[in-house]
Amino acid sequence: MPTDPYQTLGVSKDASQEAIQKAYRRLAKKFHPDLNPGNKQAEDKFKEISAVYDLLGDPQKRARFDRGEIDASGAERPRQRYYRDFADAGASNPYATDAGFADFGSADDFFSEIFSRHGRGNLSMRGGDVHYNLELDFLDAINGGKQQLTLPDGSALDVAIPPGTRDGQVLRLRGKGRPGIGGGPPGDALIEIHVRPHRIFTRKSDDIHVELPVSLREAVLGGKVKVPTPSGEVTMTVPRWANTGSTLRLKGRGVPRPDGSRGDEYVTVKVMLPEKPDAELERFIAQWHPVAAEREREATGG
Amino acid sequence: MSMETREFLSAARIDVGMMTAWIEAGWLGPHCKSEEFLDIDVARARLIRDLTDIGVNDEGIPVILNLVDQLHGLRRALHEVLSAVRAQPETRRSRVSRPDSPY
Repeated sequence: MPTDPYQTLGVSKDASQEAIQKAYRRLAKKFHPDLNPGNKQAEDKFKEISAVYDLLGDPQKRARFDRGEIDASGAERPRQRYYRDFADAGASNPYATDAGFADFGSADDFFSEIFSRHGRGNLSMRGGDVHYNLELDFLDAINGGKQQLTLPDGSALDVAIPPGTRDGQVLRLRGKGRPGIGGGPPGDALIEIHVRPHRIFTRKSDDIHVELPVSLREAVLGGKVKVPTPSGEVTMTVPRWANTGSTLRLKGRGVPRPDGSRGDEYVTVKVMLPEKPDAELERFIAQWHPVAAEREREATGG
Repeated sequence: MSMETREFLSAARIDVGMMTAWIEAGWLGPHCKSEEFLDIDVARARLIRDLTDIGVNDEGIPVILNLVDQLHGLRRALHEVLSAVRAQPETRRSRVSRPDSPY
């Protein structure tokens, strides 16, 4: 049996609409669940007050009740979920604030930790990162430059390739990912670099390795030869008796580093006979009787 | 879970004008501008509506919202502290609840 709604509000049966509203406001101020978080009684009381005010606050409903056409309880409304039900949840509360204890959080990070753990980040969510793959020519990766990436939607993304980019390196383009949610910042585009192998260069860390074919004459007598490097040809002096496998270093001709320095290029000599048989060389060699050849082969295990 | 404007308005039982004004005033979060509403936005809008019904004027609403949010922040912090304390062995717990205790 519901109690008398007039009693609930504490007004007489002939109270004016203004008096009823005033009474409701006075009680609602006191019992509103959001002004009394954690107080179950206040919620029940507020429900009761609200139900009564729904009835008596509306002159037509009040008249029907007074005439006995409807009873005080009415239909039970589905349980209203109050602000506090969400605000206390923490993790998904975009209105969460640590302002109430920000001043004693500085001494030790206990409170700030509690807060950062419990989200506030959900108010506006950062967009997701998007992953792309980009295949680069060997020299484009080493020398850097601009590349264009065609996205699945047909648009193009300009990617600045820093000099010295490695195979497998991931470039991050800030803000080029998915758009943010609720005014949040967009995510990033993460571009994984795949470097195609080069015909003659190989890369080890920041150094470049290259095999340099030299003629028999250059190998024996030494001399100046042109050597390819990632940044163009340079002239290098091959010393006398540079045998196949001997390695020469070109300092600072390797891969550029972020700090402005560069790795080195290592040039491995490979002695080459002339491509076509050379009659003059054959005649010359025929007159030459080295004594060491047999022993050398034994020494190298050949 | 988010919802569209129409759904939000009917759940919160407010009209577009109120919604716009409340977002403008900062009573509802800036994420509402993108017309994506959370359940908590409905509850917050209802709270604002209730506060208005009670007779709180436009100047009073943000003051109350701010205090309510601070209160919830404190409640959560307190809740965390209490769970941390509860996770401690009994002897340490009693040191927190009864600092004068010899244990």
